[in-house]
Amino acid sequence: MTEVTKTPAAGDALPVKTGKRTNPLANVFDELVRFAQSRSLFMLHYCTGCGAIELPPAMTSRFDMERLGIQPMVSPRQADILLVTGYVSVKTLKRVILTYEQMNSPKYVIGICSCTVNGGMYWQSYATAKKLNDYMPVDIYIAGCMPRPEAVIAGLRGLIEDIRRGTADTWKDYYRRYDHYLGNQQRLFGEDWQTPTDVIAEARHYGLFGPGTLGERTALLERHQKPLEALEMKLDIPELMARRSGLGSKGRTEVK
Amino acid sequence: MDALRLMLELFLMPLVAFVIGLAMVLLMRRIGARLQRRVGPPLLQPLWDIIKLHGKETQTSHGLIHEIGIVMAIGGFVAAVTLIPVPGMNGLAEQGGLIALIYMMMIPSLGLALGVGQCANPNGSIGISRALTAMLAYDIPMVIVVFGIAFFFGSTNLVQIVEAQQAGGIATWGLVEMPLLAIAGLFAMQAMLGKQPFEIYIAPAEIATGPMVEMGGKFLGGLFIMQCFQLYTAGALYTLLFLGGGENWLTFLIKVFGVVAIPMTIAFLFPRYRTEDVVRLVWKWPAMIGLLGIAFLMY
Ligand code: SF4
Repeated sequence: MTEVTKTPAAGDALPVKTGKRTNPLANVFDELVRFAQSRSLFMLHYCTGCGAIELPPAMTSRFDMERLGIQPMVSPRQADILLVTGYVSVKTLKRVILTYEQMNSPKYVIGICSCTVNGGMYWQSYATAKKLNDYMPVDIYIAGCMPRPEAVIAGLRGLIEDIRRGTADTWKDYYRRYDHYLGNQQRLFGEDWQTPTDVIAEARHYGLFGPGTLGERTALLERHQKPLEALEMKLDIPELMARRSGLGSKGRTEVK
Repeated sequence: MDALRLMLELFLMPLVAFVIGLAMVLLMRRIGARLQRRVGPPLLQPLWDIIKLHGKETQTSHGLIHEIGIVMAIGGFVAAVTLIPVPGMNGLAEQGGLIALIYMMMIPSLGLALGVGQCANPNGSIGISRALTAMLAYDIPMVIVVFGIAFFFGSTNLVQIVEAQQAGGIATWGLVEMPLLAIAGLFAMQAMLGKQPFEIYIAPAEIATGPMVEMGGKFLGGLFIMQCFQLYTAGALYTLLFLGGGENWLTFLIKVFGVVAIPMTIAFLFPRYRTEDVVRLVWKWPAMIGLLGIAFLMY
């Protein structure tokens, strides 16, 4: 569980220094890893809206993302990119956030479709979240209703370029300004909103503690947080239980 | 001097196997791409994947056994490749033999089962139970094939088996002498590699890639490395048993890649069987063909 310690002030030194390392060999190594990261992207397409329909053409024979090293993966643990394709309803957004928090960093979020940028044609809907980057840091938006596969590929190329240069690090922002993102999430989901991932502890562990990691919203979270418990193992099938207890007494019972 | 040479071979053989395995992964993905009229991944894609996965900043571990499981999965194959004689290097093949090799090739599945067990993800558990079921299925024809080979050559020593096959050119290859066993072996290999239509435990849309569902970062990277070794081991074993091994590296590589390309090409044309159908099919056809092959050998 998280313990709220003192909130680091704005000027406090961060535990991990960023920027170029002094050892030239380490720099070469960083460069190699960054290049590999840019050339191998596993994406988890969270197909929320209509924009998802443009992904199959982008993946299959005509546009073929695999030549850029991009391939689909099915579980958040394996993925690098979270593709949010289209409008996110409030209910969906919860799942998107759960998924995002389970991904291993460095992780990148791509918002496809105008609906993720500003609500698009669902602007007046009471049930959709308007701006995706209020709730999680977004690396690249691909606007359009819906963007064509060329646009998707162009956007992905942009992301690849960013990763290679080392500028695609918005995922750190989620840790550094967790209070801000959590606040927006609480505004939608109510103040007892919590996820199984302990973001604050992760921020501490990876040295990404920023001035905005802790704040009043995280204090609120702390107040409402229920400890996660393992699910109790039990079988609750009445017929089976009846047969079981029957087995104990008579050895065999008939099941209709 | 001998000990030094052995040490060098024990170091070189897994390394060579890994590099060839990387090329095989590329081959597999390129074949898939070509069959789907795509361009496919660039040359070093498998390497970038592995480097990237090991370079991830968050590594979600689910406990000690999770990590040991992956080490076991790779270690089993590393041990297996030192038992496979390649041109110029025999490693432990003289001492190990075919039986030890088959035994070593089962360790990765068990290691994976251990590791996945700790993840406590239902999809992973389903996946691993399917993987072990598949192992049970393909091991029967595999053992039949191995028995047939050992019976025919009167030895389980892989070096001797290869020498016997190379003695008379193509006419003494296992493929020519025991065609039925060769067919059964190919069948079993398809199941062993977990390729469609026997791809029951890596079912992306159904159980979220089964055993890999909780694996991220270096754990998935470890599994990618394991896949390289797996492809190499399967290809090299088949080459040794039926295609007369390799006289030199060129023929060896041609044979190994040729062998691996066959299941890959078949794989991308098929959907997937259900678990029970896989067991039924594999216990029926390759096992029967194998038994028939042994019957021909004996009489
Ligand atoms: S931008 Fe258009 S295509 Fe995309 S999700 Fe919104 S309405 Fe659908």
